[in-house]
Amino acid sequence: MRRSVFPSPNRPSRESARNYLDLLSARVPAVSNLLGGAVSAQAEVVEPWDDGVDLPADDLINNPSPRCACMLVLDTSASMSGNWGEGRPPIHQLNEGLVAFVAALQSDEIASFSVELSIITVGGVVTEVLPFTTAAQVEECPRFPARGDTPLGGGIKLALQRLEERKAEYKRCGVPYYQPWLVVISDGAPTDGYQWTASAEAARTLSAERRLVSLMVGVEYANLSRLSAASTRPALKLKGLNFAAFFEWLSVSMSRVSASTSVCGQIHLPPVDSWATI
Amino acid sequence: MFYYAPERRRRSALAASSANEAMNTVYSREGKCRYLGSLYATGGEGAIYPLLERADLLVKIYHAQVLEKRGELLQDKVLMMCEQQHHRNNGRLAWPLIPVYDAYRRWIGYAMYRRQGVPMAKLAHAMLYERHFPGLDRRRVTGYLLNLLRTIRELHDGGVMLGDCNLRNILCDPSSEEISLIDCDSFQVELGEWVYTCPVGFPDMTPEEHHGQDFSLVVRTQESEAFSIAIVLFMALMLGRHPYDVQGGGERAENLRRASFPYGVGNSGIPAGRWYNIWSHMPYRLKALFIRTLVEGAHDPRKRATLAEWINAIEQYRKEIDKGYHEVAMEPTAPKSRTYRGSGRAQST
Repeated sequence: MRRSVFPSPNRPSRESARNYLDLLSARVPAVSNLLGGAVSAQAEVVEPWDDGVDLPADDLINNPSPRCACMLVLDTSASMSGNWGEGRPPIHQLNEGLVAFVAALQSDEIASFSVELSIITVGGVVTEVLPFTTAAQVEECPRFPARGDTPLGGGIKLALQRLEERKAEYKRCGVPYYQPWLVVISDGAPTDGYQWTASAEAARTLSAERRLVSLMVGVEYANLSRLSAASTRPALKLKGLNFAAFFEWLSVSMSRVSASTSVCGQIHLPPVDSWATI
Repeated sequence: MFYYAPERRRRSALAASSANEAMNTVYSREGKCRYLGSLYATGGEGAIYPLLERADLLVKIYHAQVLEKRGELLQDKVLMMCEQQHHRNNGRLAWPLIPVYDAYRRWIGYAMYRRQGVPMAKLAHAMLYERHFPGLDRRRVTGYLLNLLRTIRELHDGGVMLGDCNLRNILCDPSSEEISLIDCDSFQVELGEWVYTCPVGFPDMTPEEHHGQDFSLVVRTQESEAFSIAIVLFMALMLGRHPYDVQGGGERAENLRRASFPYGVGNSGIPAGRWYNIWSHMPYRLKALFIRTLVEGAHDPRKRATLAEWINAIEQYRKEIDKGYHEVAMEPTAPKSRTYRGSGRAQST
């Protein structure tokens, strides 16, 4: 997923950026302690500067808008290609819902510069498809294929690590932020046993400490009770394959958060009955 | 003096009515039916509709759950406000004019003049100001701010405080320097011995003495308002940068309580980027007021700059801009040097 390149006279060199990230890794508090161990060897991490785009810090320097970090962990395992008799396969509807979500965010001026989106897919391997990027800078949405099993634990582990890194970056740059969101969408059960247990517990702990909004969304045959372990609120089940309604709700929620005058305010989210069976 | 404690009087709960959610008619106090247009805007408290027969009027209908929770208090407040002739006639306010009722003769909201403009939240926005205010320069910003300050002064003279100083509730006309204030029903209104409080507030826009309190029970003073106004002025002059955004610092409210204003003496913690450049080009008089209000004034209300001081300082700034003494660009490309003697470009007035 490409981001627009912004000209920046203050762009640091790649060498200084790597040195900075080493320093940051040393400073980031032990999310790894919560997760117990190194990132899974299967995780593929696309470093944001490998394709020559500007480093995130430039946007944080030039745009002081309070940020709402929205991390999507999407199940793109083989089961998402199955036809459940409701028209197109779930993966297609997920892809389309995502496109509509980004478009909705970009149509809201304030939200487009406030919401930062990141996407991790779990389909056989864990892949960071999009590092944190303001919605305004997201140029195009790729389509995800469905393949492999569901290392959801590894996906959440990477997601939590990236969220902590991003919050540290906000603080370093003096940019305020709302409570970040972790949104997990899955149609089955995690296949990485031990890692899932550790990651779910870490997410639940952060949610309980009000340091994270953890939203678990189950699709059709998802194991809702297992998904619920990663949040202080029960996992919600999507009505059929109504990804469109879910992403519309998510974009409205993000807009309301961004519209809040203050990062300290309480946000009233829209009801979920348009997309969830409760 | 008494302040209106919402717990004292409770209304019997209205049955939650879905009719309010899709309104097309309202009634005047005399029972005359008026037709509404399509939904104009919606917020946490209510929905706004245009009045079909009067293009210059809008109607605010409170949500059913808001009426159920505090409808009696709101009704008292709004009816009192509707009778305040002086503020009704202020062309810069979307002041409640007349109450409106539903088909069951229950009070549900009020009508007000439609005020046009772009929220100041988009003027004080580093990424959006050029889109909505093409050609914006610091002289125009001083115009908006002076009109805002004079309007607030008129309100204060009439026993009204904004309470929640919110950039989204200040509309700016991109083709002039006019401003309007909306969401007037949230203002703190003093009537005789009673004070109808402003139930809204946020810690990063509010002085420390009101933190941790229920805003519906807080009576704002000129000193507490002065602190919030200083933050609004700073953000408007600094492209939306909050004064308590500190590089490597904590949350805004936390920095506020510690009076960690990074642009003060020593300049520690100013976020990287254009912010120091912009601050450096502000005249000394303005900088001094910000430093006094946001550092010393963070803990001592008496140190906060008054409306009169802000008006004097910004008027002086505007005159100096007209004489070419200051940079007028919103984003100067370099910090002001000690030998800087102005842009040399006298402004036509």
